[in-house]
Amino acid sequence: MGAFQWLMKKITKAFGRSTNALFYTLLYREILKEVNNITKNEKESLILLREVGRRAAYESCERHSNIFKFMPGSPKKVLDYFEILWVVVFGRELEDHSYEEIPREGSKYNDYLLKINRCPICADYGKDSEDTFKFSKLKDNDTEGLACGLCGMLEAVANFILKIRRNDYRIQIVEQSCIAKGGESLQILCKIYDYKEWQELINARTHERKSLGVSFEEIVDEEEIVQETKLDIIDKIQDVISIDKLEEYLDEPLEGVKERVSDIIREKLSMEPDHFFDYFRNYEDDMIRIIGFLGIHLLNEYGGLLEKAFKNEWLAKVFGYVFKQLKQMTLLFIPLDVIRDYNELLVSFLDGLAPLEMVENVKLFTGKDTITYLFEGAQLALENLGIEFTELKDNIWEELKKEREDGLISSETSTIDKTREKVPQIINIFQDVLMIFTDILTLPIRVLISESHYGLKTAINSVISEEEGLYGSIKERFDSIFDQIEEIRK
Amino acid sequence: MNYSRKELITTDATMNQMRNSIHILASFMEKNEVSNVRERLRIMGHNIAKTYVRYWKPTETVLISNLKDVITTIYQKVLNSTITVEIDELENFVKVQDSKCALCKYQYDDITIAGCEIILGMVAEIISQISNNSSDSSSILLDPLEVSESQAYGNKTCVQVFKYKLKERS
Repeated sequence: MGAFQWLMKKITKAFGRSTNALFYTLLYREILKEVNNITKNEKESLILLREVGRRAAYESCERHSNIFKFMPGSPKKVLDYFEILWVVVFGRELEDHSYEEIPREGSKYNDYLLKINRCPICADYGKDSEDTFKFSKLKDNDTEGLACGLCGMLEAVANFILKIRRNDYRIQIVEQSCIAKGGESLQILCKIYDYKEWQELINARTHERKSLGVSFEEIVDEEEIVQETKLDIIDKIQDVISIDKLEEYLDEPLEGVKERVSDIIREKLSMEPDHFFDYFRNYEDDMIRIIGFLGIHLLNEYGGLLEKAFKNEWLAKVFGYVFKQLKQMTLLFIPLDVIRDYNELLVSFLDGLAPLEMVENVKLFTGKDTITYLFEGAQLALENLGIEFTELKDNIWEELKKEREDGLISSETSTIDKTREKVPQIINIFQDVLMIFTDILTLPIRVLISESHYGLKTAINSVISEEEGLYGSIKERFDSIFDQIEEIRK
Repeated sequence: MNYSRKELITTDATMNQMRNSIHILASFMEKNEVSNVRERLRIMGHNIAKTYVRYWKPTETVLISNLKDVITTIYQKVLNSTITVEIDELENFVKVQDSKCALCKYQYDDITIAGCEIILGMVAEIISQISNNSSDSSSILLDPLEVSESQAYGNKTCVQVFKYKLKERS
């Protein structure tokens, strides 16, 4: 499994709101029974349950739309990542399954049949007296089964990804075989349609729903065009940085990455790479700021965690102070030689892709410049997300000073109060003295980082093994961290 | 071989879409003139409980002395919720406060019904099922009373209120 696929699954599981799987399955059963209580018709109930699932998943996708921008944007790739879809919808691993590709003549994409041998929705269905929805009453064999609501959810998530990635194809996900209905396994057929065919299918479904004799509020058109927004630069970048592509990039050396970046710029932006980079000529510093800016926004992508946290004034302030401190400390601890090395990597990357003049300009940057630009970009992003840097005091201690609610200064100030007024300045002095000592004391650390950095460069090729190497070990540790998070959240 | 219901007890599933599904279902019910939506949701909870206790139950006997612990265990094991329980022994009320309700999170414009009516029905039925099968005459029976606060109503937490009685008196 690719690193990003693994990470996406872990994050989705760790941060979703989960319950016991039996409760989930029984609640799902009860929803179907209630629908059937209204329709009094098993076939119609299954059609409506699919629609309930589809709408429910669409609502979730809309709330967390940003995370899906990193998912692959082509229908075939979306199906390759079906395991992630399953985890997003169901919150559990897709076990014991196989794919079959079914050729479809005259179509750009083939159909896919997914066989899942163990279906949690159908688990022991029919064994308890409360399992009152009777599949035996279905006269038409072409109906879906118990997992139709789940298929509706999967279809909504897959198509939401395609919509948000501005792809013109859509996927129909239909249950072909159901264990509760007597099938040997859960079989899901995935068919890919172009936009016109898809619209026809949607219209037919709406027509079918309207003919059922029950009222089901029709909702706004989910297919409406995604509006261009101010953040479209992020969308453009996300067109490039999707999880499937990142996995490929990580496996390739710099030249391969350069080739791929060139292809993507040509394909997605319809321009030559040097033309694209030419936009940043003489604005190379802005380009580095954008990297810092995007770094923070990408961090915020999962569920807008940073943005949500910064809505709390105190959290925003604390993060602001930590950021300011980090800005100062980074240059203290990371040797400029190391930063310069990364600058050289950036120059090698741009060499051949960007205009010569731009490469020469980037060569002129010192390590300190690069770090400063990165932090400036990051600060801009943090301001976007809610940290008011202009309101931050010189140090965090000043924040702790209590002020009167009416904002007035007391006419009866005691000596203690006057001394307290001076505390921030005293702390500032201590802080600066401390920074001088720290500056001197960090020298050995800088040497260590330098040595480690160059040592790492040599060692890196021998430690990337997924089973035994550093990568494997880190993955294992993250596995444990995510497990702990899940436990804490319970 | 497919999963058994017993196996499902050992794993978790994400509720985000199911939570939305309940709102869509409730809205569908209202649109189709189901007059007792609240009661229907509680019945869903009852049915879940009846099946659930065949595969797992927190204890064999529910008494006033362990009522708080039993309720806490049910919420923790079934819903992954950490709750606060208050028992009013004068009025025989049990008040459960859940700040991370599994079935309520958002307030909707079109319908004002809390998804946790299902939980109210389920928890009451789990306890009553255990007590009905217990030979101890001082076992507790629980009735769902109301969801007095809910994130679906715009409150910060969900508060589910039950009324309890002794099995022998009933």
